[in-house]
Amino acid sequence: MVFLTLSCWIRSRGPDRYWKVQEVLKHARHFKGRRNRCYTLAVKAVRRAFVYATKARKLKKRNMRTLWITRIAAATREHGMKYPALMHNLTKTSVQLNRRVLSDLAITEPRTFLSLAKLARARQQEGFRAALGDGSEPPGVLSRVVMLQ
Amino acid sequence: MTSRGTPSRFLRSVLQNGLGRYVCQLKRVSIVFSKKAQSSLGVRDFIEEGVVDYAKKNPGTVVYVSPQPSNIPKIVAEYLNGNVREELVTNKTSSQISDLLTKLTNQSGLDVIRLRKPFHTDSPSIQGQWHPFTNRPPAIGPIKAPQRDAQ
Repeated sequence: MVFLTLSCWIRSRGPDRYWKVQEVLKHARHFKGRRNRCYTLAVKAVRRAFVYATKARKLKKRNMRTLWITRIAAATREHGMKYPALMHNLTKTSVQLNRRVLSDLAITEPRTFLSLAKLARARQQEGFRAALGDGSEPPGVLSRVVMLQ
Repeated sequence: MTSRGTPSRFLRSVLQNGLGRYVCQLKRVSIVFSKKAQSSLGVRDFIEEGVVDYAKKNPGTVVYVSPQPSNIPKIVAEYLNGNVREELVTNKTSSQISDLLTKLTNQSGLDVIRLRKPFHTDSPSIQGQWHPFTNRPPAIGPIKAPQRDAQ
């Protein structure tokens, strides 16, 4: 007797399963628990991680800006002013430093930041004088608008 | 492709390379190609025309030309810090290969991964970094000479 049906039952599956699984697991190696070892759990976790990474690109810009604003506000309060006053008066004196540079100055160059705060306070006082005074005084030095073209 | 899942590094130069003399960081270039395959046609043209000029222009880089029976022609660049970069040059023209070689010459051997910041300083603070006592007036005054009331 010759058994012929046994060899028909052997299937040849795909040869690449190991590498396809490793492609997913390599992004999950730093996860906690079984999600870094078991493929079924890792697939869900890796997909979630990628979705969070995509969404976070916009959030990072927002979070960095709020961080800079918090730092600038804390630094100006040390000098007796508030953040909105500082920014408004710096733009009025055409100092076009952005929040990132201002927060770096507040951390690494405290005396420069103090001078910027004093400049903003002087411009603020000129603004008050122009608004509350009667127009007989000449406009302040810092209120001159410079046309750069 | 998360930021924690993929490696990243800070911007740096290799031992402040351009500050004094500039040292080309490319140590060795091996061009692996085949003598008869169609995919290495551009490589063979480059070896006829451009390799000798390239080797003379870069005296600090060793150029190895190794014809082997291979399907895929490659350029293997080794750098002074030990990194090895392989570039496939199948079906590229001679000018594309010379552009690729200039790109590899200008690179330092540092990894091509995400740079955390596009800038780097060794001395970030000139006026002294902020600490909680920078903007506070001192509580005790300056040291004065001892009073001569006892005399």
